[in-house]
Amino acid sequence: MSQPIDLDTLRRSARLAGFDWSDADLEAIRPMVAASLRLLAGLESLPLTDVEPATQYRML
Amino acid sequence: MTDLTFASVSDLVRMIKTKEVSPVEVVRAHLERITALDGSLKTFITLTEDAALAAAREAEAAVAAGRPLGALHGVPLGLKDLYDTAGVRTTGGSKILAERVPSVDATVVRRLREAGMIVLGKLNMVEFAYGPEGLNAHYGHARNPWDARVHRMTGGSSSGSGASVAAGLVPVALGSDTGGSIRIPCSLCGLAGIKPTYGRVSRAGVLPLSWSMDHVGPMTRSVADSALVLGAMAGYDAADPTSSVLPVPDYLAALTGDVRGLRVGLLRSFFLESAAPEVRAAVEAAARTLEKAGAVVDEVALPSIRQVAAGALAVVATEALTYHATWLRTRRADYDPEVSTRLMLGAFVTGVHYVRGQQARALIRQEVDHALARHDVLLAPATPIPAPGVDERQTTLGDGPSDVRSALIRLTRPFNFSGHPACSVPCGFTAGGLPIGMQFVGRPFDEATVLCAGDAYQRTTDWHTRRPVLA
Repeated sequence: MSQPIDLDTLRRSARLAGFDWSDADLEAIRPMVAASLRLLAGLESLPLTDVEPATQYRML
Repeated sequence: MTDLTFASVSDLVRMIKTKEVSPVEVVRAHLERITALDGSLKTFITLTEDAALAAAREAEAAVAAGRPLGALHGVPLGLKDLYDTAGVRTTGGSKILAERVPSVDATVVRRLREAGMIVLGKLNMVEFAYGPEGLNAHYGHARNPWDARVHRMTGGSSSGSGASVAAGLVPVALGSDTGGSIRIPCSLCGLAGIKPTYGRVSRAGVLPLSWSMDHVGPMTRSVADSALVLGAMAGYDAADPTSSVLPVPDYLAALTGDVRGLRVGLLRSFFLESAAPEVRAAVEAAARTLEKAGAVVDEVALPSIRQVAAGALAVVATEALTYHATWLRTRRADYDPEVSTRLMLGAFVTGVHYVRGQQARALIRQEVDHALARHDVLLAPATPIPAPGVDERQTTLGDGPSDVRSALIRLTRPFNFSGHPACSVPCGFTAGGLPIGMQFVGRPFDEATVLCAGDAYQRTTDWHTRRPVLA
């Protein structure tokens, strides 16, 4: 399960990714980031342990 | 005389070759209709009227001189404004690229010009193709031609492509499809359009949204027209590292009209179940129509389908942010705030999320392949709802409430994730007169069977022959 995400975590994550967004900007998107992380957490429910990722995405 | 602006592509080709009409007459007829209607429809960002008329005169001279003609000689074409066009600005529907003028054509634009098509201009779209509603804050929201009373969404991101073909402004438009951006506007505007297999059509010279999810393809009023245009677009291109070397079959020859014995897997769980009642009824009726024509229809499910949204988010958000990172740092104020917000979310998707998304992608692809081992095509609604109003943000699906954006993309995105070919086909109208669309999904590189199924359906129905009433 994903935990609630706080402003400090958002700030650090954004900076790690190279973005210096203001606290107001980050606060505005915080609910959407939280919703996205909840959605992404659902991937852990899939039986993916032995599935090789489609990183070389070429069908032929 | 035939109404040139609603003639089929194959009829236009025939009439031009037999000198029944000239390319200049065809182009002028479409330009006049654009002049009359596009002020309210807002389908074009850039109209290349002079270049189109010059090309039409050259095409006319070629016919008069008896020179060899391309398969699409003299047929007008509209391009979603993310296809590079030599000497003509390619904005991506953005302010950031408003003055960007490429020096060479995208590969598919070059191929279609070589086949004789005449580009009329560059079509409206969602900014950088990042959204399914069809809205654009910079160039105006394209208007769905099917409702003169209410400003309804065209669907997107290929919004101008959908509205322009439906309104008879062009007979063919190119779209691009990262989560449904060809099939969604086709569904909402009553058109046929195909998202080919990933690798089937070159993406070289097309602005990316998400490199591994992007597909390009044609949008037309009939499946047969899509087949004709796809044949001229498809094939290996060294400029696209994901381009397939497989030969391109004759798609028109595949349109036999015969679906006897065709095994159709109807996707009920998640797909039909989530559709609005009128959409569900129309797709079920289409399945019965196919059965009457000799197809064998049964139901099939994709077990992990509910996790496509998460997997696709991980992939698209990461790839889109990577492409936009520099502009997002330096020109964020120049984006539509809704688009910049979507891009910002990518900063919080981790490397583990991305690889999990790619694992989920491999799993979904296996599941679609498995379903197609027992069926020749899968059948599902293209969108679970008809065209919403431009201000609608919430809707109700068969399995609960949803925001409009998620609803529109819900049933098309799985096949961008898996890479399988999928063709949107009109299959009815709501009581209020709005088009309903369904999609056929096929095996990798088997566009021929997908197109055959759609064309066979259109030979027994007339949904695709109806026209919106426009002033």
